[in-house]
Amino acid sequence: MTAEEAIDRINELLGSTDPATANTSMRIPKPLREAAALAVSELGVAPSTTILTANALRMFLQGTVVLAALELHFEEYPEARPTLAELALAAAEIDGNPLAQRPELLERSAAEIARRHPGASFEDVLLWAEAVDSCEASQRGAA
Amino acid sequence: MTRIVLLDNEAVQALRDPAHRKHRRVIREVLVTGVRTVRATPIQVAVPTAVRVEAGWDRTAAAWAFINRLGIVDVPLDISHTDVAAGIAKRTGVSVADAHLGAAIQAAEVDQVTVITSDPADMRKVAEGRQVNVVAL
Repeated sequence: MTAEEAIDRINELLGSTDPATANTSMRIPKPLREAAALAVSELGVAPSTTILTANALRMFLQGTVVLAALELHFEEYPEARPTLAELALAAAEIDGNPLAQRPELLERSAAEIARRHPGASFEDVLLWAEAVDSCEASQRGAA
Repeated sequence: MTRIVLLDNEAVQALRDPAHRKHRRVIREVLVTGVRTVRATPIQVAVPTAVRVEAGWDRTAAAWAFINRLGIVDVPLDISHTDVAAGIAKRTGVSVADAHLGAAIQAAEVDQVTVITSDPADMRKVAEGRQVNVVAL
């Protein structure tokens, strides 16, 4: 099975409306299972631990197949891969964050944070940019 | 917070075609939704089916294989969406696809709706007062 075929099959399964369930032989650490049971019974995070587990797994798989499909795409079209600053800008746009109107600040923040923290994410860039903006505003106010 | 990102015709075209001048622009938005979904902050990317018709997006055609893999769900033009879209089209004079986008915006049972579009003015028009975050291509 190729990666593309696996992605297609996973998407097909995630989109299935088949209500059939199956007992699994997955081994879950006991403390994790107890924590999930408590989260359900005491915090009401989901109707049952089964639903909690299934929803979390579904969400993870949904995101994972998107990222896997994009990775395959970037192998073929490397020029399509966005930069860290572009991802921060996209996140700001999706959120309706005012930083979406400050691409130059995001560009600068991405460059600074990547230099200090090579593993930084686009969410880190947004926080960094907000902090820089706040500092610069304070300095302007003090001047 | 629950969120949805809707695509218009040009966003679909740009996403599908690596040679499209806005391909990279739309790809980055989809990548952000994927990363956030893996990190348990899910964002659903969706396309109204009337937009799919306008774009020529046939899910069974090989030419659309890449975009089919991105987990983009359909917003069907069902009875309730059709009624809302018909009203929008009559009041605003927009195309069927844009009216369906408007219906999807208005009917979305989420906290935040974002539309990626080449026509921000029309999207604000079809939202008819519903809070919508418009990303202009």
